[in-house]
Amino acid sequence: MRRKTLLYGVLCVLCVPFVFPTWWMVTSSLKPVSDIFAFPPSLLPGRPQLEAYRQVFELQPFAQQYWNSLYIAAVVTVGTLAVSSLAGWAFARIRFRGSNALFLVILVGLLIPSEVTIVPLFRLFHSAGLTDTHWPLILIPILGAPSVLATFIMRQFFLALPKELDEAAAVDGLGRLATFWRIGLPLARPAVGAVAIFTFLHSWNLYLEPIVFLSTPERFTLPQALTQFVDAYGGPMWNVQLAAASLTALPVLVVFVVAQKQFVEGLAHTGLKG
Amino acid sequence: MRITMAAAGLAGLLVLTACGSGAEPAATGPATLRMTIWTGNAEHLSLLNSIADEYKKTHQDVAAIKFDTLPIENYTTTLTTQIAGGNAPDLAWILENSAPDFVGSGALAPLDNLVQPEQLAPATTKLWQQEGKLYAYPFSTSPFGVFVNLDLLKQAGQKPPKAGWTWEQAVAAAAAVNKESGKAGLVVRDFDYKGWDNLATVWGGWGAEAWSEDGKTCGFAKPEMVEAMTFLHKAIFTDKALPAPGTTADFFAGEAGMTITQISRASLLKDATFKWDLIPLPTGPKGAYSVIGQAGIGVIKKSPNAAKAADFLSFLSNPDNSAKLGQYFPPPRTQLLTAESLGKSNPLLKPEQLQQVVIDGISTGRVKPSHAGQAELAQTVRAQLDQLWQPGADVTKTLAGVCTAIQPMLAK
Amino acid sequence: MPDRTTWWTASRRDHLVGYAFVAPQLLGSLLFVFLPLGLVLYYSLHEWNVLADTFEFVGGENYRQLLADPNVPKVLGATALFSVGLVVFNLSLAMLLAVLLNQRLRGTVVFRTLFFSPVVVSLVAWTIVWGFLLQSNGGVNALLQTVGVEGPNWLRTGTGAMVSVIGVQVFKNVGLNMVLFLAALQGVPKELYEAARMDGAGAWTRFARITLPMISPTVLLTSIITVAGSLQVFAQIAVLTQGGPGTSTTVLVYYLYQQAFQFHHFGYGATLSVLLFVIVLALTVLQWRMRRRWVFLEA
Repeated sequence: MRRKTLLYGVLCVLCVPFVFPTWWMVTSSLKPVSDIFAFPPSLLPGRPQLEAYRQVFELQPFAQQYWNSLYIAAVVTVGTLAVSSLAGWAFARIRFRGSNALFLVILVGLLIPSEVTIVPLFRLFHSAGLTDTHWPLILIPILGAPSVLATFIMRQFFLALPKELDEAAAVDGLGRLATFWRIGLPLARPAVGAVAIFTFLHSWNLYLEPIVFLSTPERFTLPQALTQFVDAYGGPMWNVQLAAASLTALPVLVVFVVAQKQFVEGLAHTGLKG
Repeated sequence: MRITMAAAGLAGLLVLTACGSGAEPAATGPATLRMTIWTGNAEHLSLLNSIADEYKKTHQDVAAIKFDTLPIENYTTTLTTQIAGGNAPDLAWILENSAPDFVGSGALAPLDNLVQPEQLAPATTKLWQQEGKLYAYPFSTSPFGVFVNLDLLKQAGQKPPKAGWTWEQAVAAAAAVNKESGKAGLVVRDFDYKGWDNLATVWGGWGAEAWSEDGKTCGFAKPEMVEAMTFLHKAIFTDKALPAPGTTADFFAGEAGMTITQISRASLLKDATFKWDLIPLPTGPKGAYSVIGQAGIGVIKKSPNAAKAADFLSFLSNPDNSAKLGQYFPPPRTQLLTAESLGKSNPLLKPEQLQQVVIDGISTGRVKPSHAGQAELAQTVRAQLDQLWQPGADVTKTLAGVCTAIQPMLAK
Repeated sequence: MPDRTTWWTASRRDHLVGYAFVAPQLLGSLLFVFLPLGLVLYYSLHEWNVLADTFEFVGGENYRQLLADPNVPKVLGATALFSVGLVVFNLSLAMLLAVLLNQRLRGTVVFRTLFFSPVVVSLVAWTIVWGFLLQSNGGVNALLQTVGVEGPNWLRTGTGAMVSVIGVQVFKNVGLNMVLFLAALQGVPKELYEAARMDGAGAWTRFARITLPMISPTVLLTSIITVAGSLQVFAQIAVLTQGGPGTSTTVLVYYLYQQAFQFHHFGYGATLSVLLFVIVLALTVLQWRMRRRWVFLEA
């Protein structure tokens, strides 16, 4: 009993640095702008108001921007899953010449920060006439550096599946593609969950690429839209920005709450071996 | 290594996309103009769009004028990335701290068809000129003033300060506020021991400057700068008149007795719960002075539509449209700089405040320090000055160190 | 390794299938990773002034500048400190949280969500509020004071600033690693612990001898993810310290960003990118070599 109380105590204390900033974000969005930077910050809005939330939709095509972020993240997630599960399966379970060297080459992309390649990528897409479209935001994550992490996770997962699977599949007369599709992929559900969460969040939070590639408000994504709420003198309208930030964060959190149990336990049952 | 092989194999593709320069040929037919701005404010955009619509009525050769909002905190960075990527806008708003870079590099086309350019107040165009030519229209000129929280000063037994006050009085009042209420005395807004260029609002009173007029000689080690910084250091660490490094206080939330900032911030006082005033900067040993922040609009020279863009800019900046823009941005045209016309757009400010701070400020103001390569200079000075912001720092030695670090960059 | 047994046709078909499966990823990497890297290499041999619209070949000039730049050793030192600090703090905190949440307690789902929540919070909002908390009269020090500790002026001293930028980044992202560790912990067979307990192994021994080896693949994965993340910090440093005080928190990516995008030295920025790429390459190869050494279950 005492041990339990102690554990709860430790967990509660550890929670503080995680929860306080989120709490501040949400409560500040309910405060008038002059109260937000009061020091020390107040825990509850003295005069709560929903004005900022109304302005979020009034000042920007926010619903459209929300949709942009949502569909881009969804397309990127599905595309990344397709590319990375195929590659991960091949790297883990098919013997072909140079597979280790190729994997190592691809792995390099994992550690390249986007600041390094943004200018050449911009020139590339500009010469293809694709700036101010969503194509760069979709193609780069699916095929470029961000998908490498996904391939890596998928490979580690497929490595952990028992060898006998392929033999059983061969006995059933399944080809390579069928083995992957009918056996590998269904078993990989937890890894798919992990990759989906990583990929979705990465796309959802992407900041540098949208501000460089997009210039029409109707095509903006959420992190970029947040920076657009400024007053008549170019000063940030903090309450509106924070309201928009809260609206951006909450749905993802809800999805996590719903999906986490299956995701964690699924990964636990099947494991992630290296 | 496979990687080098891959890179070598791509050499052909490299050449295709690599070349950085080469102006695009002049376009024919109706043009679409693109202007980058940093405001996303709906009222600003609708004003800009209405001016653009009016322009298009009489100019068939311009099909559309598009205003692209880039986030202000990485405005210059994003703009440069677009230019580097081969997607330069036709017109761009330019922040004062990158003005010398844009004007001096030849990135902008000279503006020689502005309407009645003689009306522009000389103090407002200085930053945007080179060899007698104007390279950007200074559409926004916002002077620095001191906002005073009259309630906090009264509580500390201080009389409300008036124009003509001195730095000694300002520091004494600020120290009293801090002693009496525990709140901050005087806050140089946006300085926060990093944005040192805002200190021009302090050292101007001593006649000090970051570098000489021609930008070639460092001014940090000069006696007047040492004197000003010694005064400031004492005000921070001995008198506790300014909040120490690593402490924040927001004037507009009622946490500081006074703040030095641009007058445009007055909008934050819309629902202030305390009584306040706006007065000019205190006078220093060298008398009265004022400081302004600016923004300009320039035409990007390598745009294929540069001539059309310049024509639109002269329309945008003509006296009528200047007056419209003046609703939001303090204008550079002298005939618009009257308490009456400014009062319409700044309902929170009294005529007297507008006259003393805005009108007098714009006509005599010096722009915050800026120089070609400003970002690198700013970063270097910031790193050096960090040694100054602790109790017992050697002011003379630190400032000499600043000059040692930046003199080679200035001399370039 | 290629299979050289008698049924060579099957093995050849395997090669083809293998290449087909990795083709999208491989072509994508060539187009969106290696082609841009090649261009960066090409830019690094030029003096490129974007504003003046000049692009001149200067040969090894930028590389000479790199060797002579007095900031580079400092920046590399700060980068190493930052990355090592980040990886160590992130992994140990993630492990601690995962172990705590792996105790059979009611309400762990709530805690799990709370620890994960910063991952979805806007980075800008996150950094700004931490900027407040880390003031010398801010929340962190107020909290320390209640337990009788005089906190440092976090953002104004070299060590404090480094600890701050690491901490802010760790609290933001540790939730991801925590979830992965938690999944790994739940996958460790309970019988192993029973057996160890019968042998009289203490809690620490059980952790070091059973838990760690069993979850070592996850440790590898999370450390790779975290190292990659440590090379992507930017907003935190820009908002909290601007690389200061002095140059104590100027890490390589921030320095590169400054040179290329803020100081307009694109050529030199590209040279720094090449340096970063070489470091990254070395790290990748190193991690790859080491995986056999410290991963218990290498297939």
